[in-house]
Amino acid sequence: MSIENNYKANNSATSENNEDTFIKISLVNQSVFIRKKKSCPLRDIPITEINYGNLKLLNKFLSERGKIIPARISNVELKKQRAIANAIKRARQLALISPIKKEVN
Amino acid sequence: MALYETVFIARQDLTAEDVDALANKFCNIITDFKGKIVSKEYWGLRNLAVRVKKNHRGHYILINVNANFPAIAELKRVMGYTEDVIRSSIFKVEAHQEESQLFISHTAKDFKPNLAAKKQAGKYDLILEQFQFDS
Repeated sequence: MSIENNYKANNSATSENNEDTFIKISLVNQSVFIRKKKSCPLRDIPITEINYGNLKLLNKFLSERGKIIPARISNVELKKQRAIANAIKRARQLALISPIKKEVN
Repeated sequence: MALYETVFIARQDLTAEDVDALANKFCNIITDFKGKIVSKEYWGLRNLAVRVKKNHRGHYILINVNANFPAIAELKRVMGYTEDVIRSSIFKVEAHQEESQLFISHTAKDFKPNLAAKKQAGKYDLILEQFQFDS
């Protein structure tokens, strides 16, 4: 368990909220896998902040081609992911965001 | 009474006075039906992300409304046949924002290009800059 203790000691200096982090160590074939649970990137931002006018936020959740990034990749919690998807669709309707971006070649 | 947000895009070749007159015309429809205007916002002449009815740019106007449904239905009908409005949408909301993120001035007459540049950074901008997703 010395590895875990070392990892925690190193990590505690950098990350403030240790409660969110989850460390799993398995010893298979004498190699060490360290897995850390990711938390929602929008945990500090209230849900009222997610609306069709907040283009800075919405552009973070669009891919290069203009598609909505799935929660599977961005790790946003379900309620906020739904709010983001609705807000992006409204912004597209109002021509604030383009529905698709052309591939640059 | 319920809370609604109305956003519409006016044609690009209108002057500031025309835009204000258009906004007032829609506000009068609401007040005729005993509704209330909570606030008005003008977002400036913005570039459209997509061409809408052969326009590249448009005046954005937001009207926050507290009214009954008949007033909203009438507003929607009038917006539909007004030729100066190229796109409009009405959303029902639980609470109005004090000031939206795209807010520049209350009326088109007060609009100055300096105001948009002077706008302060949002409260959560620092958090947003840290996001990185590998897709």
